[in-house]
Amino acid sequence: MKVAFKLNGRAVSWEASPGESLKALLHRRGVISVRDGCDGEGSCGLCAVLLDGRLVNSCLVLAAQAEGSTVLTVERFSKDRKLGVVQRALVDAACVQCGYCTPAVVLAIHDLLERSKDPTREEVRDALSGTLCRCTGYEQFYAAVRIASRRLADPDYSEALAPEFKPELRHVGKDREKVDAAALALGEKAFVEDRVEANACHLKMLGSPHAHAWIKSIDAGAALAMPGVVAVLTHENCPDKVYTTAGQGFPEPSPHDQRMFSRKVRHVGDRVAAVLAETAEEAEAALAAIKVEYEILEPVLSIAAAKAPGAPVVHSGEVRYVVGEPPAGSSTKGDGRDDPITYQFPLHADPHRNLAASAADGIGDIEKGFAEADVVIERKYRGNRVQSTPMEPHSVFAKVDGGRLVLHASTQVPWHVRRVVSRVIGIPENKVRVVKERVGGGFGAKQDIVVEDVAGYLAWTTGKSVFFRYNREQEFIASRTRHAMEITVKLGARRDGKLTAILMRLDADTGPYGQHCLTVPMNAISKSLPLLLCENARFEVKSYYTNLSPAGAYQGYGAPKGSFALQTALAELAAELGIGQLEMIEKNRVTSGARIEILRSLGEGREGQAVTLGECGLGDMIARGRKSLSWDEPKPDSGDPDWKIGRGAVIIQQGSGLPGLDAANAEVRLLADGTVILLSGGADLGTGLDTVTAKAVAETLGLEMEDVAVISGDTDTTPFDKGAYASSGTYFSGNAALKAAEDLRAKILATAAAVLGEKPGDLRVERGGKVVGKNGSISFAKLAHMATQGEGHGELTGQACFKTDHAAFPYGAHFVELAVNARSGEVKVRRYHAYQDCGTPINPALAKGQIFGGCLKAIGHSLYEEMVYDGEGRCRNPRFLDYKIPSIYEVPEDFRVELVPVEDEVGPFGGKSISEIAVNGAAPAIAIAIHDAVGAWCREWPFTPERVLRALGKL
Amino acid sequence: MPTRDYLRPASIDEALAARAAKPEAAFIAGGTFLLSSDRPTAPRLYVDVGRLLGAKIERRGAELVLGAGATFQDLVDAPALPAALKAAAATMANRNVRNRATVGGNLGAGKSCSSLIPALLALEARVVCAERPDAAHLSLPLSSWLERPTGLVLEVIVPVEAGRRAAFARWSRSACDLSVLTAAASYRLDGPGSIRGLAVAAGGLGPRARRFPEIERLFEGGALPPRGEIEALVAPLLSPVDDHRGGAAFKRLRGASLVADAILTAEEQA
Repeated sequence: MKVAFKLNGRAVSWEASPGESLKALLHRRGVISVRDGCDGEGSCGLCAVLLDGRLVNSCLVLAAQAEGSTVLTVERFSKDRKLGVVQRALVDAACVQCGYCTPAVVLAIHDLLERSKDPTREEVRDALSGTLCRCTGYEQFYAAVRIASRRLADPDYSEALAPEFKPELRHVGKDREKVDAAALALGEKAFVEDRVEANACHLKMLGSPHAHAWIKSIDAGAALAMPGVVAVLTHENCPDKVYTTAGQGFPEPSPHDQRMFSRKVRHVGDRVAAVLAETAEEAEAALAAIKVEYEILEPVLSIAAAKAPGAPVVHSGEVRYVVGEPPAGSSTKGDGRDDPITYQFPLHADPHRNLAASAADGIGDIEKGFAEADVVIERKYRGNRVQSTPMEPHSVFAKVDGGRLVLHASTQVPWHVRRVVSRVIGIPENKVRVVKERVGGGFGAKQDIVVEDVAGYLAWTTGKSVFFRYNREQEFIASRTRHAMEITVKLGARRDGKLTAILMRLDADTGPYGQHCLTVPMNAISKSLPLLLCENARFEVKSYYTNLSPAGAYQGYGAPKGSFALQTALAELAAELGIGQLEMIEKNRVTSGARIEILRSLGEGREGQAVTLGECGLGDMIARGRKSLSWDEPKPDSGDPDWKIGRGAVIIQQGSGLPGLDAANAEVRLLADGTVILLSGGADLGTGLDTVTAKAVAETLGLEMEDVAVISGDTDTTPFDKGAYASSGTYFSGNAALKAAEDLRAKILATAAAVLGEKPGDLRVERGGKVVGKNGSISFAKLAHMATQGEGHGELTGQACFKTDHAAFPYGAHFVELAVNARSGEVKVRRYHAYQDCGTPINPALAKGQIFGGCLKAIGHSLYEEMVYDGEGRCRNPRFLDYKIPSIYEVPEDFRVELVPVEDEVGPFGGKSISEIAVNGAAPAIAIAIHDAVGAWCREWPFTPERVLRALGKL
Repeated sequence: MPTRDYLRPASIDEALAARAAKPEAAFIAGGTFLLSSDRPTAPRLYVDVGRLLGAKIERRGAELVLGAGATFQDLVDAPALPAALKAAAATMANRNVRNRATVGGNLGAGKSCSSLIPALLALEARVVCAERPDAAHLSLPLSSWLERPTGLVLEVIVPVEAGRRAAFARWSRSACDLSVLTAAASYRLDGPGSIRGLAVAAGGLGPRARRFPEIERLFEGGALPPRGEIEALVAPLLSPVDDHRGGAAFKRLRGASLVADAILTAEEQA
């Protein structure tokens, strides 16, 4: 049927099918700014349009219903690529992180400003209530609305959104426009889905309906014969290789325990078969025609079930070790039926008893420590699975071009993708190119090779272009989740609060495969234990296979759960001793100049060493929070006898990349007009890494930001980078860009010295792209132009590799004030103040945005986010209708982030990491505040009203 | 997804005829249920009544008339809506959805998580619906219509009675979540604290939101009881199911507490 309507002022008449949504029609006709994060469920708001002046989700409108209507999309609000006032305000207020939601936000704010000239906070909330954003924490949207509304009256209006740092530097420490923000706010092509060619084939995956089963038989004959079907891939015809999907440096500290398709399915949603067909509908239809017979096995659905004697075995194949011997007493002989498991080095595993990995170590003598204690407590804390829910699901577009495989990927780890995919297919790495597109949220889930292996293989073997995009349910059940963990903490202390011994026993549930099975739980220890100084400390970590959804990397990488357990236990001990919570922290925390002995046993993949800390900003941060929350004053009264007020505070830390293990490279090229191109291996996930690296170059070369173009994350054109994980972006990729710029600067000076006939030492680079000496000066443009000429000196490029043995710890202190309804169990976070040391904040407003985003995610994890499973291992809430992530309504009324920098000697311009740390604070701070309010300890998160009432003994 | 047909009739009568001719057809207006959570079982034919239904919200004598085509945002923006009704409308998901979801569609979907239905039930609303072309419209109590939905809802009539107090309460996991549990109550207070004409409705406690005469009987004619008494008497009458939105014991406790909230806050909302 024909549908005629007015789109952005232009009359269109387009063919639509009767059941087709307006969103599908718009997208099909090339209006790519209309995004989709929930498969047309209407719960994410990313497909919003203004339909006859009302903001609606275009997935919930039939195309036919738009007949005769006026439809506006973000394209309406800019002209000739010039940002409209709302777009400009969003860019200026640092609201464009991954940018996947930005076009929808632009429309919502336009709609709001039509109704209200100077909107209140409540009006902003209402206007943005339908748009989900997982990056920003929404707080800065209020500023964006304010700026836009003021500029409508006064076009020159501006305001400072964050304090400035490093007065001696021009760009670093000042807010500059995020380099990709404008394109994202305009809704231009940026993401994998925007690269898909019109004739691309579609890949659809058949997921297992059972949590644990053998595939007795699989018959794809009927599916293969269906119209449009190009190929069907199953365990019978896929490459016979086991690998790990963890995007970690090789050899990975994760067992190679996964085949592209296996005879055994190990979780609901596990791969059974892939269909490649000419259309998505044909692929879906063919999936339904694949006949599979299963031999259903008893599933392992908890840590307790995994370790029970005689438990069903998740992996029963032969266990091999590349380096080292199997642990004494472990079983290695396979059942001849299941896929083998290869450990690159011993991880103290015993897979046939569902133990994927383990580790134990410590310092001092904990028995002696506990014996010396006046008080000993032992508590058990639990945290369930949560999902990172990037608004753009895992997506890849694979094609063969020039005899090589090209993968347009939404990934954090382009080089690991290249390595793994080439090995799986069995072609050399030089036959594979991975192009990281803009990533619509990664948060760790895109550290793994979740879709690229099968799409790459099918593209390579069929020669067809292949588009594979997860739907939201797959994103929940077959992507990566945060490991469920049970952590027992035993603490001993003297009467004055000084700790004498710490024991942390951690059991993790890694799910069906072992990606990150040891490193995530270890990080729970290594980012929590070193915050407390205690001579006797020990940890025991075990990671178990289960038949629940795969676990993996997620912002914080285990640290949120370690932090929850240890910080809450410390507060419980303080309560036991009658000591103030902050006094207890002060008595035991790491301090400037402290020797952190526990790091001897927390080597993160190499030999651990004790570290003597330089300056530590925690004292300042705690003092600030104490003051701003009026900690020493009586708590405010809620004015309602049911609502009780409570306060809590925690200290947190993270790292800045993996010293001694990882490396990043960059190259800077000087062009003939004096501008530069930065080739960075770094993978910007919307975090602003490309802006950090561009700043490093502009600062070093005395250029403007516009003089630096960043090309990043392309394995063909940019140099190697370990990828974006472990909070490494600024520290590693940023430093590589800085050092490459310094290298170029040295070459510019050397060349200029020859041209000007002066000593290099007499020359300096000056603002405006020129070299000035004692007698003369020459512009970069002139130098570069000469380089391109016959008599020239060769192209001027700077290169650098950054690696380090130095560990840089960002620290933070988070304070919360909340209200608990003792009758209903509801918890309302009223005030959340985050004090964060990220070293020199390279781009302060963006840094704050990331911290806001991390805090709000963690508030969601703490209060309502949880994947719930039935007795057969099926996730009961794999959609936004029932897995609630925070909307703008969940933002605390008083939400504050303050940057408290302590410069690092190795970090670029003194910078450390930001990205992960902010998620480590909310759970323990909220648990402690709940106790402060109502006197009950919640030791299992999320702290739903149901669990709070249970803790209160009311259920 | 099966191929679907779409029809945009020119009149209510045409819509009724089209639906009568094809049993696999369903009326669609805002589409926020049919195209979302109900999509897997969606009908073969959509009969689009979105532009046929009145969207006015107006006072007619002692009645408030809601056009079935009025959106939830229209309800929120309407100047003179009973507070209980406005509160219920405001809890519908978020602004994007409220801009689309209609009063008629919400009744037609008949979900247990509807906020509007319990509020309207407690206010003893009636519906006016068209069953057959060229036949007179039916007017019947919403509670009866919900037991056996028929025809196409054209209007919802809310009696406006001086002295009638009403309130709505709900529990959801987050602000823009669907309503997991709802309760609404309305009554008059006769003399010094005697409850008359108590209507109590609740949702999330079974397959449909419904009136709870068993609760009404407990408190009719009496003085406003203290919260603890309401909760203790109501809880045993609720039989929610365990699901991923909450355990049965929790829902019973919380549901009773919402009933108490509705009854007690109604006192201030005459």
